[in-house]
Amino acid sequence: MKLGSIRHVRGFDVARPVSIGVMLGIMLPLVLLPLLSIFVFGTSKGLGVFWASLVAPDAVFALKLSLVTSFWATVFNVVFGLFGAYVLSRYDFWGRNAVIVTISLPTAIPTAVAGFALLLLWGRYGMIGKFFSEDHQIMFTPYAIILANIFVTFPLAFGVIKPVFDTMSRSLEEASATIGATRWQTFWHVTLPSLRGAIFSGALLTFARAVGEFGSTILVSGNLAGRTQTAPLYIFAKFNEGQIEAANAIAVVLALLSFVIFSVLFFARDWMEFETQEA
Amino acid sequence: MIAKMALAPDTDQHVSWAPDREQRSGVAASVRGLSKRFKKARVLEDVSFDVAEGESLVLLGASGSGKTTILRIIAGLEQPETGRVILHGKDVTDLPARERGVGVIFQAYALFPRMTVEKNIGFGLRIRRRPRKERTKIVNDLLKLVQLEEHRKKYPWQLSGGQQQRVAIARTLAYKPQVLLFDEPFGALDAQTRVHLRREIRALLRQVKVPSVFITHDQEEALELGDRIAVLNDGHLEQIGTPDEVYNHPQTEFVATFLGAANLLLGVITGNSVEIGSAGLPAAKETARFREGQSVKLVFRPEDVCLSKDANLPEGCRRLANGVIEEVSFVGAYERLNIRLDLTHRRQFQNEAPSYQVTINTPERMTGVPIIVTQPKPEPNATRYKAGDRVAVGLTSFSVLPNYTLARQR
Repeated sequence: MKLGSIRHVRGFDVARPVSIGVMLGIMLPLVLLPLLSIFVFGTSKGLGVFWASLVAPDAVFALKLSLVTSFWATVFNVVFGLFGAYVLSRYDFWGRNAVIVTISLPTAIPTAVAGFALLLLWGRYGMIGKFFSEDHQIMFTPYAIILANIFVTFPLAFGVIKPVFDTMSRSLEEASATIGATRWQTFWHVTLPSLRGAIFSGALLTFARAVGEFGSTILVSGNLAGRTQTAPLYIFAKFNEGQIEAANAIAVVLALLSFVIFSVLFFARDWMEFETQEA
Repeated sequence: MIAKMALAPDTDQHVSWAPDREQRSGVAASVRGLSKRFKKARVLEDVSFDVAEGESLVLLGASGSGKTTILRIIAGLEQPETGRVILHGKDVTDLPARERGVGVIFQAYALFPRMTVEKNIGFGLRIRRRPRKERTKIVNDLLKLVQLEEHRKKYPWQLSGGQQQRVAIARTLAYKPQVLLFDEPFGALDAQTRVHLRREIRALLRQVKVPSVFITHDQEEALELGDRIAVLNDGHLEQIGTPDEVYNHPQTEFVATFLGAANLLLGVITGNSVEIGSAGLPAAKETARFREGQSVKLVFRPEDVCLSKDANLPEGCRRLANGVIEEVSFVGAYERLNIRLDLTHRRQFQNEAPSYQVTINTPERMTGVPIIVTQPKPEPNATRYKAGDRVAVGLTSFSVLPNYTLARQR
């Protein structure tokens, strides 16, 4: 049979089901099956075991620690990402492009390197850390985790917000100024509302990335159960100890969380496109 | 959206949107000696003009003529290198934009996308912390004025271009601007909407009596919108005057050619007339300011030419020369004729039958000087001009300008 006859059988486009089938055949095993296995294994010994491993004190602590440190890293990065994007898109100065590249650098740096770099800077014998007394060390405390999260996720919010600033028409701010608004009033009433979508998606991206951060956290946190152990570290530790159910329960929670965040991002896209369109 | 004139009837004429001020006459805004350069390029050179109270002035010029820069300097969005900006007698050159009280209608209107129509209009009052009651009243009055009452809850993207423009105007009127500045207000619109909207704006401005400055590159728009027109060329002011003055009595060649089509012939002053080749145009009044033998340019518009197949030109038409019609084209409302003027033949007496040397089918046609003439659409039974007709050519109106050989003599 010739190819031509395969493609079209009496007005029925064969290419369509074939393409969809191949696509699903590749995507499903690659992406969906590993995720599915988490859920299957997590509940395989009964929901009782699952629940018990979920509410274990160390597990609850790890989850809480992850959420709290990620939250503060997100707050910091959104505020400073916004400020940085404002400065870098509104003012032209010598070396501006170099600054933009530097700020965006953490995206490309392996997270383990980032963690190591932070240790060399803030650690007991680090460049800055050596000036701090033994009682005021930052490394191996929850603050170190926030620091690592900030470092690793900094380019995310900045990267989402800056393009919106760049494409935003200057005449909106000029109009506001001629109407009589101060810079602050203009920022608050005119600029910020147009950035709502970008801030929202930048925050979600930052948070999602921070919750899952492993490489840098394991180096700077010390990985002390009940003190500086975040959820991903908990999974790793429990897996190493052979407690698959404990690791699995947290893995389910993290997977669900990222699934929710990603769905919000995806389905809010129309809403965000609407924002940028207007700006 | 544009089917009918969207303007409130003159019911509430006692509401004034001009600044509260005693003087209703006099100068509302003036710029004095503005100069500016970007990098090395000079964009403005010693520009001065006044805008009278309630007047609308159009800055007309090609892109790059500096008109936008003037507007931005008046608004306070840019600083002049030298020169002052004076609004109602107060020097505001060193004040920031927000303290000048100037209304700018940006090209794309720059409405705030996250605010409804009424919030956009009320923004100026909100940041001035006026009481809510007063704000509501002013916004309501303005919505009525620009006939957008039923659209008050809509967002800018839900409005047509013309409606957005009216919101932009109302937004500035809310704080009683010293002067309204329109930056190419119809640039983003199609030709039909444009014509409609500028009539609408003209009517609206008559009602609110706020002095306005428009910038445009469209001469038709300038003639229709402006009480006066300032023609800008390459950063300097060529001429400022009423539409009639700049159109019918251009003072420079640039003004003559930028505002519509113009024919241009080189001549010399001889006695009381302009001598162009062998032809002489009697012009005692127009030549008075020139000395004998001075080189001049004769500038006249295609519609100011009168033609006759015999020697009898209509009353008020001064005979220039004879010519041959080279081509007749019909352009809708009028006829366009290309004529070759005979300027090498001996001068003829006023009543002598025309005699011709210029032809159109032989190489000698090149000796004829081409001009363009437009004639109103002829009546059905009138004798039509056709190619090859020999005619006497006269002018009803023209300007005589000095013919400087060097630009810097200007």
